[in-house]
Amino acid sequence: MLFPTVDFAVFFLVVFTGSWLLRPYKIAWRWFILASSCVFYGWWDWNYLMLLFLSIGINWFLGLAVFRSLTPEGERTDASRWIVRIAVVVNLGILGYFKYFDFFVSTIADKMRSIGISVDAPILNIILPIGISFFTFQAISYVIDIGRGQWRKPLTLLDFAVYLSFFAHLVAGPIVRASEFAPQLDELPDPRYVRSAEAFMLIFRGMFKKVVISSFLAVQIVDPVFANPNAYGPMAVLWAIYAYAIQIYADFSGYTDIAIGVALLLGIRFPQNFDSPYIALSLQDFWSRWHMTLSRWLRDYLYIPLGGNRGSKAMTYRNLFLVMIIGGLWHGANWTFVVWGAIHGSYLVAERIVKAKWKGHELGLPPLLVKAMQWFLVFNVVCLAWVFFRATSVDEAFTLLGRLFASSGSAAGVSLLLVFVIVASIASQFVPQRFPQKAEVWFATWAPALQIAALAGGLVLVDALGPEGIAPFIYFQF
Amino acid sequence: MTSPERKPMKGGSGIPSGGRSPFNWRSLFEPFRPRREGTMPAGLIIVVMVLALCVAGLFDADSTLRKSNAKGDGWRNEIAKTVASVTDTLHINFFRNSIDDALGKNQGTKIDVEELLRRQVEAESAASAEAARKVPVLPAPTPATPMKIWVGGDSITQTFGTSFQRITQSTGIFTPTLDYHVSTGLSRPDYYNWPEHLVKDVLPANPSILVIMFGANDGQNMIGADGKVLVRASEPWMAEYRRRVAATMDLLKSPDNQRITIWCGPPPMGPGTKTRGMDLMSYIYWSEAQSRPWIQYFDTWPFFSDSSLAFSANLPNADGVVRGMRQKDNVHLSTVGGDRLSWAVIDRIGKLVNLKAGNVTPPAAQAPPASVVERTEIPPSMPGAE
Repeated sequence: MLFPTVDFAVFFLVVFTGSWLLRPYKIAWRWFILASSCVFYGWWDWNYLMLLFLSIGINWFLGLAVFRSLTPEGERTDASRWIVRIAVVVNLGILGYFKYFDFFVSTIADKMRSIGISVDAPILNIILPIGISFFTFQAISYVIDIGRGQWRKPLTLLDFAVYLSFFAHLVAGPIVRASEFAPQLDELPDPRYVRSAEAFMLIFRGMFKKVVISSFLAVQIVDPVFANPNAYGPMAVLWAIYAYAIQIYADFSGYTDIAIGVALLLGIRFPQNFDSPYIALSLQDFWSRWHMTLSRWLRDYLYIPLGGNRGSKAMTYRNLFLVMIIGGLWHGANWTFVVWGAIHGSYLVAERIVKAKWKGHELGLPPLLVKAMQWFLVFNVVCLAWVFFRATSVDEAFTLLGRLFASSGSAAGVSLLLVFVIVASIASQFVPQRFPQKAEVWFATWAPALQIAALAGGLVLVDALGPEGIAPFIYFQF
Repeated sequence: MTSPERKPMKGGSGIPSGGRSPFNWRSLFEPFRPRREGTMPAGLIIVVMVLALCVAGLFDADSTLRKSNAKGDGWRNEIAKTVASVTDTLHINFFRNSIDDALGKNQGTKIDVEELLRRQVEAESAASAEAARKVPVLPAPTPATPMKIWVGGDSITQTFGTSFQRITQSTGIFTPTLDYHVSTGLSRPDYYNWPEHLVKDVLPANPSILVIMFGANDGQNMIGADGKVLVRASEPWMAEYRRRVAATMDLLKSPDNQRITIWCGPPPMGPGTKTRGMDLMSYIYWSEAQSRPWIQYFDTWPFFSDSSLAFSANLPNADGVVRGMRQKDNVHLSTVGGDRLSWAVIDRIGKLVNLKAGNVTPPAAQAPPASVVERTEIPPSMPGAE
């Protein structure tokens, strides 16, 4: 079930009403939310539910086993460490089978062909279950957190099932930790004080970004240029790259906005996932603003266990680079994602080296100019990496980049409206947070009839400005 | 979210002021005074959401009906029809339609295929009808007298057409034109009317060869001539789709039988895509082309599948190197896939027209292996194609 559809609107009205009616009855409410999440996920394909249930069962059991193997003081034991390792291997094994098996087999087959050995690769054309990367990462974090002694009491099976399957974050995040979600299951939010203004704003903003901005940029320039870069000249290619940077932001942050808004209406607060990433002045800053819940997952469950910045500088750089490569592979089984991760990893390392070397040095330039140059550099490095993220193959990415230096080619798709949308989308990220917050407070004081008119008008506007039908969210494929 | 000083209420109350006083409709029109900044009682939120969705649903009724018709929503389609009928009667749809008009969206056309065909039939002489019973014989193109070739269709033609345009240009004997329109086909003339476009914009330029590809967007319900929804792949749907295909093919016949159309069937779609029924479409195109010598059906299926005719995203070209033929969506062709199909189509054209004056020998890295050939007969369904 996609968020911006009539199906979801009707589904959510039922869930919202049922949720608030059942909220005081803890067990009944949990079963109701679990059933709703199953309907939401099963709407795509009921067979996927089996995989979700399997993940819930295995990880709950392993979480319990880890907890029982800790010392009474919550200290780790050899047994607990082994069970955590098993949990990680099992989860990554399932993820690997669905996500990387074909990639692995075809890469091996290609390598063997290159040395003259012809093999018939057993490609399975496996369909990737929606959201598997997200709920698998959440499950891993739960078991590891128990193993680290950060949870003194494992969740009940019902609570764990509600946590892992909660429909608002199930298919494309944010990646919520059990420590953030589970305490909210026991709280009883007051139905008189639902944060409606913030939620409505988030949902409307998310829909506008996804349905209008992302779709417009995709159809207007991104899809045509990335499909046939050879047909386009430098102008169209450059704007297509910038447009994709905005498209993927609008698409993914749009989904997250809707997810956070929907959860908020049910009295559940999700962590923030985006914080104006395109205003970043360094790549480190960018990663503290882009897909924040994935960034901190990679930091806590990969970067720090690898040694983080506790060892030598070389080890820190290695860890940074490795984390970005693995982060790239998390997005999909393709060398394009590896290159994308490598660009980010290399630049993060370079940034640290340069910062260390230039510490205390002054360029003698106005601070504003320095900031503008930093912003320009970071934004363009991020855009360069997006080319590999979007391209079908590394070759196609290089073909597209090569067209930036072509002497001819069409500029079709580049229009004043396109440039305005891209520039306005970037500029909107520089608007201080207090302005939308003030708008939310003001909106909440409107007469309900006026709020109804505004919401209805917003829905009609989004539908009219958007394309016929809703394309799936980009991040569903991850 | 939690209220430390108040005990949570049981159930959801719909009281604007936050108390348990009876609901007063007049309060909907008065400025709201939230007890806590930015909040509202759950009960009132239900009222706001239901009414906002109802109002939006009324204004958007025509748009919802269009989408519902295309998807084949069953009972939901009946609701959409009823709501659209009410809004039409009350002229509520005026607002949304005005926005669509201003944006140039959903501009349906009154010209239908039957009318276009009637006009064409009247203009044809009996002699030309006789000539059209044979495969057109076109003069051999040369660099001095290049042949006009048009390639068009839906979004799959975007990549394929760009490759085809580039490659045909490089042969030195063609003057190609690319004309694709994303999300189009023959099932939604209200969204894009291909027959009309062909007659009004394409045929007047007098191309000698047309290369056309539809189907990827046509696996959806259609509105029949009587206004009824035809469920995808049902008998009435197939009859109507076949009628549209046949009529479009007839439109492409030239009075002097000096035009060939290469009608490309859609390639197989990969796992996880929502694009359905490509085998059925291929069968309809192929079977309708059998009685029309000016239409040459080109079977793309074997060029994008393995030896058992199952979808394969990675395939070897004539040089033996395996390359990615599809984009990440497993629907559209990659540039490599576009090149592969282009050379295969040029090879097919070469069997109908003398192309010896041009450079039509494909590089091994771009062309399909010689072992990949079209099927002689297209079955109505392929295992695993759905």
